[in-house]
Amino acid sequence: MPALTRRQWIAGATIALVAAVFSTGVFTALSRLLSQPGPSDPDAEAAAPAPAPPPDPAVPKIKATLFFASEDGLHLVPTEREVPLAQGVVAQARSILEAQLAADAPAPLASTIPKGTVLRGIFVSDRNEVFVDLDPSIRTAHPGGAQLELMTVYTIVNAVLTNLPSLQEVQILIGGTEADTLAGHVDLRRPLRKNDVLVARSP
Amino acid sequence: MAGLSMQTMAQAPSMTVVARDGRRPLAVTSINNQDYVSVDDINAAFGTTAREDRLAGGLTITARGRSIVLTENQNVVSVAGRLTTLPAPPLRRDGRWYVPADFLPRALSSALDVRLDWRRSARLLIVGDLRVPRVVARVDAGTTNVAVTFELTPFTDTRVNPQPGRLIVQFDADALDLSIPLLPSQTFVTGIAPGDTANTIAMTLGPRTASHRVTTTQADAGTGRITIDLLPATTDTAPAPAPAPPSAAPDTRLVIPTLGPSTGLRTVVIDPGHGGEELGAQGASGTLEKEVTLSVARRLRTLIESRLGLKVFLTREDDRAMSLDDRSAFANNHHADVFLSIHANTAVRPALKGAEVYYLTVERADAEARRRADENATTLPALGGGSRAIDLILWETAQARHLEQSATLAGMIEQALRPRVEMSPRAIQQAPFRVLVGANMPAALVEIGYLSNAEQETQLASASYQDHVAQALLEALMKFREFIEH
Repeated sequence: MPALTRRQWIAGATIALVAAVFSTGVFTALSRLLSQPGPSDPDAEAAAPAPAPPPDPAVPKIKATLFFASEDGLHLVPTEREVPLAQGVVAQARSILEAQLAADAPAPLASTIPKGTVLRGIFVSDRNEVFVDLDPSIRTAHPGGAQLELMTVYTIVNAVLTNLPSLQEVQILIGGTEADTLAGHVDLRRPLRKNDVLVARSP
Repeated sequence: MAGLSMQTMAQAPSMTVVARDGRRPLAVTSINNQDYVSVDDINAAFGTTAREDRLAGGLTITARGRSIVLTENQNVVSVAGRLTTLPAPPLRRDGRWYVPADFLPRALSSALDVRLDWRRSARLLIVGDLRVPRVVARVDAGTTNVAVTFELTPFTDTRVNPQPGRLIVQFDADALDLSIPLLPSQTFVTGIAPGDTANTIAMTLGPRTASHRVTTTQADAGTGRITIDLLPATTDTAPAPAPAPPSAAPDTRLVIPTLGPSTGLRTVVIDPGHGGEELGAQGASGTLEKEVTLSVARRLRTLIESRLGLKVFLTREDDRAMSLDDRSAFANNHHADVFLSIHANTAVRPALKGAEVYYLTVERADAEARRRADENATTLPALGGGSRAIDLILWETAQARHLEQSATLAGMIEQALRPRVEMSPRAIQQAPFRVLVGANMPAALVEIGYLSNAEQETQLASASYQDHVAQALLEALMKFREFIEH
């Protein structure tokens, strides 16, 4: 069964990653990584000592490209925003995604992410695949419809892969496990690559 | 709202108020792509009065002693103390108040204590309990005859009265909610139009029609159809009893092929999207994607079965949940030659509308899996000794080998839809849709319109729009059959 293989592979990748992190001695990232796939970990967010807590004004910022729906609703418009600088690819991906999930869209644009969407965790495999774990509330908050679902999924995928070019693919997990889809259409059981077709060309 | 300053105002086709005592027009203004009616016109038509409270920015309409209280830019109105929502807010423009057309059935109706039925696609407002069946006309032009079909909801008694040069179809009704397609120019019938009275349709006959035959079918309690076959003079066809040449009539839009033995396309599986507790998309007025998709799938099945004589299966016959993989597995198990998944869409912007056709994207991972699958073609022992090659197909790669044909199918669907319904600016797209992944046959997913757009929500719920979509999909399947069989 392909699904089983993938689940095993995720577990394998997580273990491999944890081992790699251990060997380099990055303990700050460790507690967060260990808390990833376990669905029985409600305080994972609180416990994770995020390397760059957003409210701290002293934290240095970097410019990142976030995505919002165009005025006609058909395209993703890349928009530059400042996000907290973080140490390492995993932490930076987290910082960018958190900014994307929480961001209000600038004037004529609209957010493609349901309000209140929470990032449970993020980790990166040794094959540069990113696993983004979202809280299941995104399912109930999403209005459905294939077009909007495509926009939501590729906002997340593109936000990670556009800003961190060393990463190749993003697989979205929901509630710590593999999901068929977010709202009944887009296949989430395999990693997705950056989508350039949906992105509006710069004027 | 920031968008208010960008509102556009334009004259829209007026609606016809159909009441027991006659018909009269009511002007409609399009504001921000929504149908609005001015309160002054409502007062004139329904004998209501209005009093404005400039300080509070409100308006009180009095109807039969009951008050409707409106506030500018507020979707919520109070009708005799009860709150009702409108799909768009009342607006004040150049000193005149405007309310969305849905104000009539949702608010005015309960204040007047009279049924007001707003049929947007036909632009009819039906007052009281009048019998106004929906009548959807369809013309199927063959090379030797033409069939004109009227689908009736609800079914009503019908009489066909011949007059010189025309046929008058008279329905047992007070008025008709009529949908007539653009006629292909041909020689049997040159026009179909509303008749001289509110319950008739006049068909103008062309020179080739010598006689006609009427067939009435009542499908169930709610619907039925009347088919009028227009036949040429018998001498006309006598010298040519040969099988009808399939493409000898370039002037007909729809060529219905005679039922022939088909080799390439025998079974069609139609997948009505969502179902059960999985509602799919939802319109502002409550239209559910799962209901629209099932209704369109049923209409399409009827058309395919009666016109093409193919086997048709629906992945779900009723309102039930079904996993996406089960849907494509159903198509595989039924050895379908085509898999069509039907959906309705949602966008983050309510202005976005139009139909879209999707086929599967192949990502790198799929390409790799496909290669692995091809390596997996393996030799297994067969019953009775010996061995034979069995093509083991991985679920993830089933659709990958049909992509070229799926792209062709999607193109044909887009072409067939375009003349009938509005298309989205992105009419054909590729996307990694789960329901298509495991389908081991040409497959496409059709988004028949946007439920997030108020106008399209009404269309999607209407029988006439659903029929247009089903008719287009039938035509696309006919083209696709020709394509894979030649």
